[in-house]
Amino acid sequence: MKSSNKNIWKFKEAPFAKSLDRFVLLVLVAGGIFSVLLFADWWFKEDNIDNIWLYIILSATLWYGIVRLVLIWINYLRVDKPLPIEAPQGLSVAIFTTSSPGEPLSMFEKTLAACRNIEYPHTTYLLDDTRDPAFKEVAERNGAVWLELVGIPGAKAGKINAALKLTKEDFILVLDPDHIPFPNFLDHTLGFFNDPQVGFVQVSQAYYNQYRSFTAAGAAEQTYTFYGPTQMSLYGRGCSVAIGANCTFRRKALESIGGHGIGLAEDLITSIRIHAAGWTSIYNPVIVSRGLVPEDFGSFCKQQLKWSRGVFEVTFAEIPRLFSKLSFWQKLSYFSIGTYYFVGATQFFFTILPFIFFFTGVLPARMSFVDFVVHGSFVAIFAIFIYLYVQRWMCDPSTERGIHWRGMVLKFACWPVFLLGFSLSVIDKDIPYIPTAKKAVTGYFTPFARPLVIQSLLFIITVFCVFTYRRFFMPESMLLLSAEKVWGMVAFAFIAFVMAVGGVLAALEAQNLTEEEPWSKIDLNNIKTS
Amino acid sequence: MRIKMFRISATLTALLIGMLLVFLLSAVGSKTRGPLSDLLSFASGSVETVEANLILASREQRRSNKLKWFQVYRNDPALLKNPKTLLLGAFDNNTKDGFESIVGLEDSIRTTLPLIHIYTAWGSKPEEEFPALQVKSIIELGSTPVITWEPWLTDFDPDKYPQLRKLEERDKGGLADIAHGKYDFYITKWAEAAKKANSPLFLRVGHEMNDPYRYPWGPQNNTAKDFIAAWKHIREIFKKQNANNVIWVWSPHPAYGYFDAYYPGDSLVDYIGVSALNYGTVASWSKWWTFKEIFGNYYKDFVHFKKPIMITEFGSLSVGGNRSKWFTDALDSLPQKYPAVKSIVFFHYSDDKTTTQQVINWYFKNDAPVTRAITKEINRWGK
Repeated sequence: MKSSNKNIWKFKEAPFAKSLDRFVLLVLVAGGIFSVLLFADWWFKEDNIDNIWLYIILSATLWYGIVRLVLIWINYLRVDKPLPIEAPQGLSVAIFTTSSPGEPLSMFEKTLAACRNIEYPHTTYLLDDTRDPAFKEVAERNGAVWLELVGIPGAKAGKINAALKLTKEDFILVLDPDHIPFPNFLDHTLGFFNDPQVGFVQVSQAYYNQYRSFTAAGAAEQTYTFYGPTQMSLYGRGCSVAIGANCTFRRKALESIGGHGIGLAEDLITSIRIHAAGWTSIYNPVIVSRGLVPEDFGSFCKQQLKWSRGVFEVTFAEIPRLFSKLSFWQKLSYFSIGTYYFVGATQFFFTILPFIFFFTGVLPARMSFVDFVVHGSFVAIFAIFIYLYVQRWMCDPSTERGIHWRGMVLKFACWPVFLLGFSLSVIDKDIPYIPTAKKAVTGYFTPFARPLVIQSLLFIITVFCVFTYRRFFMPESMLLLSAEKVWGMVAFAFIAFVMAVGGVLAALEAQNLTEEEPWSKIDLNNIKTS
Repeated sequence: MRIKMFRISATLTALLIGMLLVFLLSAVGSKTRGPLSDLLSFASGSVETVEANLILASREQRRSNKLKWFQVYRNDPALLKNPKTLLLGAFDNNTKDGFESIVGLEDSIRTTLPLIHIYTAWGSKPEEEFPALQVKSIIELGSTPVITWEPWLTDFDPDKYPQLRKLEERDKGGLADIAHGKYDFYITKWAEAAKKANSPLFLRVGHEMNDPYRYPWGPQNNTAKDFIAAWKHIREIFKKQNANNVIWVWSPHPAYGYFDAYYPGDSLVDYIGVSALNYGTVASWSKWWTFKEIFGNYYKDFVHFKKPIMITEFGSLSVGGNRSKWFTDALDSLPQKYPAVKSIVFFHYSDDKTTTQQVINWYFKNDAPVTRAITKEINRWGK
């Protein structure tokens, strides 16, 4: 994990979906749905209810997760990718990349050089508000056009809109400055615009610094399935979404919606608006660039907070407005993406559930732990098989396949962040625009990990109290009858505890991260495009 | 058209295989509850064992210390079948979280009870399996369990057991069905689990089988011959499972007279169980009966079986008479008056809805005159 994988600077693509693969997937999904129905039949029984209010909340949180799971499974049935189309000669193409104060100059050196290496004729623009002449120099040295766009509201999106007015190209690739594009990037996107209905073409986002830390590895792991089977299935359903970076837009599509969307989730806003305006979209599962993931837990949480707050904004502000203009699958997909970060609230409930039991004795459900596991196991078995089966459609299966446990730990440990994002959205409060750190922020303990420290301490203290009470004070006649319930709950809380500790360790890891400029080691001449 | 047909048939085949997979999995799972649930049950059983070894064993004040004299009995079914002293016990309905209510009752009458009585029904719900945890708990407390095992045949889920008769027809001839092996799947598992308790236990199955009003296993649905056949069949299964730790309590209702016909035979019965409950004037059909009237008058009918007698449900309400006097009269010189009585089990039920329309309360632990009377009488017997 600690060594950079040389193999990553190479063009990769997800395979086509073969009929047999689809058939096997359909078998698994049918089995999975059937198991879910059996599980539901067992779950929703009056006998199972203990405390009715907690039972309702527990059912809602559990079934929120299961319904999402089933939606994803059904989505997978349409997994697909477009047949490659050669880029026609003579299109006018712009590449936009942005620079903001504080971003390291040396990174732009590399990115702009890589942009110059892109083989399809194009013009690169650096949208700059650093007020630093060095950036102009770098741009010009690498054959890019330097546009000074100072004091424009709307952060990155605002600058893109300003730049749209200053330029004329028909196609615009928006590239994040930390992404190093491969020379064949545009060859894998431009051909699809032969279809005049296509509004944008998104490609995969891959990374090159995931070996740097636990957080980086986990953050990258969280994206592998999304940029593989998930987006491919969304494409199959006619709703592949634009994800900010690495997206090539048709100028007319952007202009038809009044420019790039502005907000914390500007990519998703743009995406839904373009779809609502009647354009189609393409997702091409190819790796034609590699960028950076946050390396320290604090930066990761900042990014997640920004996204969760932004994505909820789409749910509350965009989806209701554009609902009637979207296709059925687009409605379902955007709603499903838009409620993803609700997982913070559900995890919060799962986290406090055992403590409610320990301190009040109240339980939501009366079912035995054994029965729960037995009935739930079918759903779990099919979920795991489907999860592993669809990994064949990752963009780079050889490095991305596996049990993404680091990603799971990070997702679990982010429940306070998601919950904060959700709460801010509900009361319509803003968080400041926080650019994602391009270099590891080291030497401090992020405040995002504090709730996890509290959760961990609470667990340790609670277990200590439970043990002391049982050892010295509980009447012996009650001990054995309550043992299964109590230690079952301790085990349940223990899972969340392990995840929280994982988060705390990830936060501590930041203190030992060496500051490094990961891009400095990249040799642009070594990128293999075939 | 061809493509369409191919797609539809492929989809249907996939759906079919998917369902088949689930059925296969659940078939593996439903066999004796499945390997996974066995494993999990084993895990949760281990948790209890670890707690028993780690926490209970290190406690200093344990209930079992007060029952040291009972140790010799506890591990010896032969001695329990013919005890040299009268064994007291109790049932209490508030034992969901533990037997603290029994301990409270014991404090009120200043004794520690060697027997603890629980009720459990036949059926397919999880709580109708052998009550292993309660039994283990009772044994850890130093006592021996008495289990009343009620054949509520309609509690078997018809979806799970389609081979059984329809619910509405199930009670008619239910005991004959038991005798013919229709419920062996349940009895065998129960017997197996009872053996695993690894300690003697009293089993009172199909009690008050001669009362035509009370339970579905009564004469309104079955003949006396059926009862005996069912009893024999159950005993055979326990024998096959080597569940030799079970002590069999045959428990008719004395007031209905004709119970001889239900007696399965000397070799198949260890104890005669008799209930002695005074309902006072709580219902139209009841009046204030003395202990002599509800038990003493039938004593000779039970003695002729030449078996030890257990008064399986012993209690009095306070409506319509003097309860403390009732207990004094009942317990006064009881071992001398009724030497065949080897066990008395208090019926301590705080909200009994089983017999009358109203909720009746058999509790007496807070009724000081009653507890004083009981304490006084049982201490006069001497150990």
